[in-house]
Amino acid sequence: MKRRGIAGAIICASAILITSLTSAGATAVTPSKATFPTGPVKLVMWWWGEQEAPGAKLWLADTIKAYKVKHPNVTIQTVLQTTDGLVPAFAAAAAAKKGPDLQYFWGGIYAQQPGWDGQIAAVSDYIPAKELAHYINASTEESFQGKIWTAPWYVNPSFPVVARKDVLSKYGLSVPMTWKELLNACDVLSAKGVTTLAGGIKDGWFGGWLYSIIGAQSVTSSKDVVAAVVGKQKFTDPIHAAWWTRLQETQSHGCWNKDINSLQLYQAQQLWVSGKAAMTVVAGPDTPNFVAKVGASKVVVMPMPKWGTGAFAGKLGTTSQTIGITKWSKYPQVAADFITFSHQTAQLNNWFAKTGSMPADDRFNIAGVKDPVKKALFTSVLSGGPYLENFIPAQLDTDAVFTNAQLVLKGTRTGAQAAANMQSVMERLRMTDRNLVKNFTAWAK
Amino acid sequence: MTSAATTAYHATAPDPSGAARGRRRSFGPWPWILPAGIGILFVFGYSLVDLLQQSFKYRGTWVGLDNFRLVVTDPLFQTAIFHNALLLFTVPILVALALLFAILLFETRRGMRFYQSAVFLPYLLPIPVVGVVFGQLLQLNGALNLGLRALGLQSFALDWLGDPNQALVTMSAIIIWKEVGFGTILILARLISLPTELLEAAQIDGAGFFKKHLKITTPQLRSVILFYAINEAIVMVSWVFNYVYVMTNGQGGPGDATMVSELYIYRSAFQNQAPELAAAAAVLLLISTLFFIIGFFKVQSRSQSGIFDE
Repeated sequence: MKRRGIAGAIICASAILITSLTSAGATAVTPSKATFPTGPVKLVMWWWGEQEAPGAKLWLADTIKAYKVKHPNVTIQTVLQTTDGLVPAFAAAAAAKKGPDLQYFWGGIYAQQPGWDGQIAAVSDYIPAKELAHYINASTEESFQGKIWTAPWYVNPSFPVVARKDVLSKYGLSVPMTWKELLNACDVLSAKGVTTLAGGIKDGWFGGWLYSIIGAQSVTSSKDVVAAVVGKQKFTDPIHAAWWTRLQETQSHGCWNKDINSLQLYQAQQLWVSGKAAMTVVAGPDTPNFVAKVGASKVVVMPMPKWGTGAFAGKLGTTSQTIGITKWSKYPQVAADFITFSHQTAQLNNWFAKTGSMPADDRFNIAGVKDPVKKALFTSVLSGGPYLENFIPAQLDTDAVFTNAQLVLKGTRTGAQAAANMQSVMERLRMTDRNLVKNFTAWAK
Repeated sequence: MTSAATTAYHATAPDPSGAARGRRRSFGPWPWILPAGIGILFVFGYSLVDLLQQSFKYRGTWVGLDNFRLVVTDPLFQTAIFHNALLLFTVPILVALALLFAILLFETRRGMRFYQSAVFLPYLLPIPVVGVVFGQLLQLNGALNLGLRALGLQSFALDWLGDPNQALVTMSAIIIWKEVGFGTILILARLISLPTELLEAAQIDGAGFFKKHLKITTPQLRSVILFYAINEAIVMVSWVFNYVYVMTNGQGGPGDATMVSELYIYRSAFQNQAPELAAAAAVLLLISTLFFIIGFFKVQSRSQSGIFDE
């Protein structure tokens, strides 16, 4: 009876705990460079982006329709992913070697890691180098030892601060351009019960944004960040740790909405739209939409107020959102052809028309853009700074940047404690991910 | 006491019609159990073996106990386990509330069905719905706090899910609200089936409400209470993932304030691309859950041997 009980217990416990951890053992399909197939071809594309580039869905439908005219035998099915589900859904698909043919990836590490893990085929194996040379940020974020993992799709000026002149002027303030001015605005506005900066960090993502736009002001290049990742520098060194102190200053000066920890990223931005906050941070592709909601005459679009003396202080960052081809896709050459097709002039112009944001292709004619806000944003990304969040391990982002930013903004952790914690999480990651140092070192070369 | 004893007797007693027939009878249940048994073994047995294998490997290479060492020494895993342990403290609260509600419903003459439904309804609601609703309701400027402020109870308007010192307690309260209905119905069902003679006799002897239920009712509910307690302990150790995932956007935050072992496993496997560490953590969680499941089976076997009929 006892034995039977234990056996039953084992089975039940297995049922409870293991179902989500099964792995499939299929062998990856080696990409072939066969001629374009003439029989029916179905591609599945998992994507994200409507959240920050509204209109992307319409563009995708148009582009697939146009591609269907060119290749009637190719059907492309699209699945829009959630922000929180994008990475885990692909990880599950990769474990099963089954799922999309075309997959959306954020830039930098989010494109590198699946390449290192053998989950995607390099697009440079299918798209000629002279074509890829036009794709903005491909060589800075997606390249690895001569290969380009994923193809940039659209550019994300990262991340603009939008300031409402009408709200600030009501309290006798002008738009703060320096850190000192920002903290002064926070003091004045918080005394009046007005939020200076609107933010939502419950879902964590905003922590990564803040790291990138405040932290970039003290580093000399993305190589500094990679050096801290591989252990040649430390995240407690002043150039990496100072931003935490700046973040703590924003908390102690009452810059943020008090409910920052119970709001999600996109929820909080609405406080700015409704006039309850003077400033907020928005996704680059979505910036023109935010400006339009309030009225261009009332808004200033700017980088995070300047505090550092680094090369990127007072500059926006630049990153591209990308599309990759999965290793198990039966038709990688068709997937690559679709990517190339999406970079043709008609599609680039249609992207701008549908979303108001910039396609990640230097052949897009910025001179033709009339809106001064958009034009300034688009021009800035061509010489933007590195988007730091894309150069650290994704787990460091979630386990150290997201979490510490939440605690610092709640006032339960100091900047120095946050920096120390980030360093200790990094040291631990170098132990748990045995290939991390090797991969990051190779990437930095 | 005697249905189990009678069954045992049938299985072992000599059959007057011959030994061969007796042997055939002793194999009686197995052909019926076998198909389902094979199915379970295939689905979960395979997964279990695969999980164990993964937990001892890194990218296909044997690493011995290295994954376990890394998991056990991970401060985040330690925090997650600590939070699961803290959630176990909600079990006595759940049991006490379920018992109280069951007795109150038992004593209610009018509208019992309505109250039964009202108590049981939260248990029927999908956890993601509960998570989303409470996530909105419990924002710092959410409906609950707006109501509290309107009543002048400003100091009670806390950052329920946004304050790291508060979040796990809030989460526990939501879990209790959701889970208490199951226990109430379970206990009530048993309560209704109890023989009424003892209660009537106690009433005639002048026993009051509390004495009656404390001395007569509760002892007779011992096995069903134990069953519920073990079931909820298993929930707290290995079934709270949905609550945490939905209410914290999969972060276990603020900071690591609501990190639990299941979320740690999920994030390791699907977010951090470390399936080996996830496997090692899952094996550890499996072992800890086993203790509760063995307890669960013991309670079940005791109930089969007559404890429910005490």
